[in-house]
Amino acid sequence: MDPDSGTSGATSAAKALAIIEGLGGAGNILEIEPCITRLRTEVRDGTLVNEAALKSAGAHGVSRRGTIVQVIVGPEADVLAQDIEDQLE
Amino acid sequence: MSLVVASPVTGTVVGLEGVSDPVFSTAMVGPGTAVDPARTPGHVCAPVSGTLRKLRPHAFIVVTDDGHGVLVHLGIDTIQLDGSGFDLLAAVGDHVEAGTPIVAWDPAAIAARGLSPICPVIALDANDDLLANRSAHGFVAVGDPLFSWN
Repeated sequence: MDPDSGTSGATSAAKALAIIEGLGGAGNILEIEPCITRLRTEVRDGTLVNEAALKSAGAHGVSRRGTIVQVIVGPEADVLAQDIEDQLE
Repeated sequence: MSLVVASPVTGTVVGLEGVSDPVFSTAMVGPGTAVDPARTPGHVCAPVSGTLRKLRPHAFIVVTDDGHGVLVHLGIDTIQLDGSGFDLLAAVGDHVEAGTPIVAWDPAAIAARGLSPICPVIALDANDDLLANRSAHGFVAVGDPLFSWN
């Protein structure tokens, strides 16, 4: 799968699940908000965040400051954020 | 034919290495450059002709008819301003020409709030070796070429 083309329904939903896992699971995510190229998230426990898992889920990079984690996913951030919120409900 | 990406603002070319946000300085979303805007109220303009695909007060993406996406980010961490200080002059889905004003702002006001108004201009998902004719660091006027995308 080309990680840059993951905007179709199925692949985006799979990517959303993988990102939730990489962020330490649904219970660890306090807030998620799309910026234009990244997901800005706040997590309960920063040590549960797995950067390698996020990168294998298709993230270009991860930037963190304590419990604020930015997952850089490219311009499909808003679609992914919506899919992640759907999964978290 | 290569795409010429024009400066969205008048200011000083500083390159991505001059940007404090690693997302841009390490080219996580693509290569490009950055322009430190003149500290006078003005417009941030489309860097290429195409469709305005995404528009936030602090950032926008124009996608050319052949699918090249160029991101312009208006300052660093400016999402914190929640749109305050940015006036949108276009709408998502608009077809814009290079040089069309997209957002009106005052870089001096951004700087006065403790944020950097530097504008990264990014060739989304491009390989770095596809960019050529990069503008040297120094003065640039809005509409002047920043780089070409082959």
